[in-house]
Amino acid sequence: MLLEAIDVTKTFGALTVVNTVSVSLNKGDILGLIGPNGAGKSTFFNCLTGDLMPTSGRVILNGEDVSMMTPEQRAVRGLARSFQVPQTFETMSVLENVMIGAFLRTSDPARARRRAYEVLDLVGLVDVASAVAGSLGTPGRKRLEIARALATDPEILLLDEAMAGLTATEVRQAIELVRKIHQTGMTLVIVEHIMEVIISLAQQVIVFHQGHQIARGTPQEVTRDPAVVTAYLGKRAAANAARGFAGDPA
Amino acid sequence: MKRSVWLLLILALVIVYPLLFTTPFLQRLGALVLLYAIAASAWNIVGGYAGQVSVGHVVFFGCGAYASMAFFTHFGWPPIAAVPVGMAASVGIAALIGVPTLRLSGHYFSMATIAVAELARLIVTNVEALGAAVGLSGPVMPRTVFDLSFTSALPYYYLFLAVLLVVLGLTYWMENSRIGFYLRAIKDNERAARSLGVQAGRYKLYAYMISAGLTSVAGTLYATMYGFIDPESGLGILTSVKILIMAALGGAGLLFGPLVGAAILVPLEEISNNLLGGKGAGLTFVVYGAIIMIIARFYPSGLLKLLLDRMAAAKPAPSDKQVRDVA
Amino acid sequence: MSMSLLQVLIGGLMLGAVYALFSSGLTLIWGMMNVVNFAHGDFVMIAMYVAFMVWKLFGGGPFMAMPIAAMLLATLGIIAYFSLVRHVMKGPMLAQILGTFGLALLLRYGMFWTFGANFQSLPENLVGGTYDLWGIRIQASRLLAGTLAIVLTIALHLMLTRTSLGSKMLAVAEDSTAAQLMGIRPDRMQAIAWGLAAGLTGIAGALIATFFYISPTVGETLAIIAFVTVSLGGFGSITGALVAGLLIGVIESLSGYLIGAVYKDIVVYTIFIAVLWFRPQGLMGKN
Repeated sequence: MLLEAIDVTKTFGALTVVNTVSVSLNKGDILGLIGPNGAGKSTFFNCLTGDLMPTSGRVILNGEDVSMMTPEQRAVRGLARSFQVPQTFETMSVLENVMIGAFLRTSDPARARRRAYEVLDLVGLVDVASAVAGSLGTPGRKRLEIARALATDPEILLLDEAMAGLTATEVRQAIELVRKIHQTGMTLVIVEHIMEVIISLAQQVIVFHQGHQIARGTPQEVTRDPAVVTAYLGKRAAANAARGFAGDPA
Repeated sequence: MKRSVWLLLILALVIVYPLLFTTPFLQRLGALVLLYAIAASAWNIVGGYAGQVSVGHVVFFGCGAYASMAFFTHFGWPPIAAVPVGMAASVGIAALIGVPTLRLSGHYFSMATIAVAELARLIVTNVEALGAAVGLSGPVMPRTVFDLSFTSALPYYYLFLAVLLVVLGLTYWMENSRIGFYLRAIKDNERAARSLGVQAGRYKLYAYMISAGLTSVAGTLYATMYGFIDPESGLGILTSVKILIMAALGGAGLLFGPLVGAAILVPLEEISNNLLGGKGAGLTFVVYGAIIMIIARFYPSGLLKLLLDRMAAAKPAPSDKQVRDVA
Repeated sequence: MSMSLLQVLIGGLMLGAVYALFSSGLTLIWGMMNVVNFAHGDFVMIAMYVAFMVWKLFGGGPFMAMPIAAMLLATLGIIAYFSLVRHVMKGPMLAQILGTFGLALLLRYGMFWTFGANFQSLPENLVGGTYDLWGIRIQASRLLAGTLAIVLTIALHLMLTRTSLGSKMLAVAEDSTAAQLMGIRPDRMQAIAWGLAAGLTGIAGALIATFFYISPTVGETLAIIAFVTVSLGGFGSITGALVAGLLIGVIESLSGYLIGAVYKDIVVYTIFIAVLWFRPQGLMGKN
């Protein structure tokens, strides 16, 4: 077992945003987390990455309990992530952004630079290596975040809505990139709003609704699940309307 | 012309400056520019590179200055011999402030730096062994050359230049090693940096401790040159203001920013003090306040950055089209 | 307990109430927009000079000085918000800190240049002399200042929690984008907060001037006291600031009485460092 979450619960005051959710992943798996906005998937995701500490429950990485560890401690142990709203180092160049990731495994700038170029080559950003990250558009930044995360040589990569805000063509390119990364043996957790993306990528899917896990299984299984159909399609409009008030707590 | 040629040219000018301008006023002015450039360059490591704005840096300056004068007064050490003592005290105080606050939002850090500087000033003002409100003096007559007590500003000029080169060299090395990359990343986006395994709190603390130690050297040098230190000059908030405004005006986070700031502000202050006398002190700091507000509001990256951007804009930027095509 | 100790305690509470009053403005702004006003103490200092000038020119006491100082400082606060704070608050940390720090220097040394470094004070009997209650002597000026300060701090708390303006301000503090979607204009609310916070420093300054020394540099001391109060009370909490302000007033007065006047600031500043080390979330904040 590479990553395991056991009964993870997260509350903000009186509000329970994630309610006893459990998952487990083996090496090479792709796990998809889906659900409407405000369903708690991003909060659960952030409990896995260490940006939030679970109120109760445990997160196990490679057999070690990391529930109360900070994001940087989890990164050292092989966990890497991207952000829903890109968090690139705006004033640094694309290459330097990726070098920050590579510096986790070496203190030598020359080696970090070599490693960064390798990753940039993989994600197809090598031509803009010297451009300032702030000059990239959304698709470029999302790619850069993935590159930066890969440069830390992680065992598991967590992508938070890596496709949000992309055009149909860009989504296809991004899916291709994720497949390519998976083929290198990477384990992935993907949060997605778009059901179609998850179906084409994930082997295992967990569906969130109002903080609960309402279904799990292969993409085919969960899309046939009646609870999922009501929650995800039937109440989608209602969930979107609620956004204005509650928003996504993460 | 290439960057390195420019730098060598400027360095040559700095070296020959006191030989070309031989009046005591101009030599002393040059030495003061270099002295404040040392302090401001040291501030730059934490304020500019790590983005943690210390508004009480004088406490480290005071550590260096007081260590040298106190060890001379009580044990007869040559003032310069107390450099390690001042540095150790500064690093300790930096840990006292930095350990709890650098985990929190940057505002806590800035508030704590003001409070600790003021606390140090109040304590020293009440401690007889540190000269209380009157202050401490250095050797009246130099006993040996190690007392570094000269009537001419010339030896100080070259001493300060040597120390400044060491500080800038250290900053340059830091800029190009992992810690420099990490500090810039933390300043840009701490959350993202932490997600990549950067121990943000620890690196900010390292930067603060290095900065504190180097600032105390500037304090020792100041005391050596003036042969005297009191709570106002050694621990007053105005010295903090001078240190940070020089770095911020020149360009926080740029290697030569603080030097540029010192080269502009030190002569201005000396001239305004000479013209206006005692009344000028208040006015100088009114102007400093206004400059600081204007930097914050319009040019947070400082004048040198403005100049470098202008120069870069004059050249065509070849990567622009590529950026649009690929990303 | 001896009478004189009780006297010191009550005096400390009254002083602490004024600390609470001006600190509540600092904590309001911090809680609403994550900005620390480094010029906050100097706002109080300006108000103290207003009180001094009101007495000097018209012979007026705090009741004449308070509205004038409140109006003047509120205006200054709103101008500072629109011309400076609004622009630096989203910028780099350097700009956020240096913006109001520069303003502090400008005000401090502007006053220094105008009035000189000398300490001033208002006549002791400007507010009805000293009362003697069962052997405890209390200055009327402190009693007035303390009582009014407590009332106003509680009023600020009630305004924030019980009125629609207050709930709009809290909504902006919670999530300014969401507030905007509900038709609240964050910019206007933040400007009101600055006007309110600065206006309160006007009242606090006019009150404290009746029994405190007035000098251009008093703002630095008061700013640090406000930092201690706000961090001890928990950032953003008005009730926390009230309790912490009273506590610090008492601690300061007691240490002045027991150890010596020169050490009272040392004690208070040391508490600040201790709070940062051991209770950065404040005395009443949750872990």
